[in-house]
Amino acid sequence: MIKKIFGNNNHHAQVSNNMATKQVRYEALVKALHTDLYRYAYWLCHEKQVAEDLVQETFLRAWRALDSLKDEKAAKSWLITILRRENARRFERKRFDMSEYEEATITDTKATSSEQEIENHWLRDKIAAMPAEYREPLTLQVIGGFSGEEIAQVLSLNKNTVMTRLFRARNQLKEALDDEPQQRGQYNG
Amino acid sequence: MDDLQFRKSIYADPNTTDADVISAKNSDPAKQKFAQDIELLDKKILSALNVAVPDDLAERLILRQSLASHQQQKRRSRVKLALAASVAFAMGLTFNFMQFSNAYSNIGDYAIAHVNHEAQYFSNTDDAKVTLASLNKKMASFNGSFDDVFGELMMADYCRFDGMKSLHLVFRGKENPVNVFIIPNSEHLSFSPAFNSEWLKGRAQNFNQSNVIVVGDKTESLKQWQERINKNIRWSI
Repeated sequence: MIKKIFGNNNHHAQVSNNMATKQVRYEALVKALHTDLYRYAYWLCHEKQVAEDLVQETFLRAWRALDSLKDEKAAKSWLITILRRENARRFERKRFDMSEYEEATITDTKATSSEQEIENHWLRDKIAAMPAEYREPLTLQVIGGFSGEEIAQVLSLNKNTVMTRLFRARNQLKEALDDEPQQRGQYNG
Repeated sequence: MDDLQFRKSIYADPNTTDADVISAKNSDPAKQKFAQDIELLDKKILSALNVAVPDDLAERLILRQSLASHQQQKRRSRVKLALAASVAFAMGLTFNFMQFSNAYSNIGDYAIAHVNHEAQYFSNTDDAKVTLASLNKKMASFNGSFDDVFGELMMADYCRFDGMKSLHLVFRGKENPVNVFIIPNSEHLSFSPAFNSEWLKGRAQNFNQSNVIVVGDKTESLKQWQERINKNIRWSI
């Protein structure tokens, strides 16, 4: 019995083997999902540094709880759930008084080279100015590739609400896009 | 499917797999045009949403995790060491406790246990060769002496009496040896003047600094032994 408790080398090998497997899983997870997660975080907080901190914190928590992730297909929504919780915690600690619109403008003023970039820039401002309750399902759908049901689950809403918000989000962007096509790139005067 | 419903569905999810929406789209060129517009819009949205990700973010995430888990492992091995130390400490304490704790509560119990334990080493037929001089030499450490050897003394030696230094005398008895213990007054063993077990009985007397215990079998007159002791023993101050 004493051998069982203290001297089980086999058990040790098993543990470090599990650790190695965990490490591999973790690195795969980081590589596959950090881009989506960062972008999602960015659209939650509109600030590069904060977004990165959120992603760091999220992956650290994910590492600790990695054993509880059974289904790799659920990994993305699992991570997003952690990230949203982290973001909420950020507001519990300290409420930042910032205008979302301004932040979005600050982050990308340099990247105005091509036509495409100008349009992106213009659209980013519109997206940033959108109410969060419309923007969040939209980012989940477009960046995350989630279905209506999955978004409903992540955001704890019912599916009809999610679909309505998605409709309004696109509708708003479409109208904005149709209204001021020729002013793109000059709006900041 | 009416136009409003169709538009709503497409707006909500341009890549919908809903069969009704798809068939409506395919059957009406105007709807198809609208769907294409929204698909284009979605491409623009995607392009806008795809903000630049810091190049080395993945590496930094992995680095931060390995640092954190290294810390954790160090902490864990420290916890393990502390656990092992606590277990060793507890085992030491237990061992100590068992070794030196007092299993007997009074001198009678201990005296009987002691005699039983050593019974095999003494027989009534052993030579009685201990002299008064050597007995008194040993008695000196109890501040006492005997005027005479009050019987046939087969053995006289120091003994541990439940951890206390004591003098153990073995006399020839009627059928079995008679044991006399001279022990210092003890704090952890209570005094009991008379006691017995299945085939042994004993008596104890308290003097100034010491107790004198006599243990013999049931045929022995311990009273007589005690009288003999009292007659011969002398205590110095």
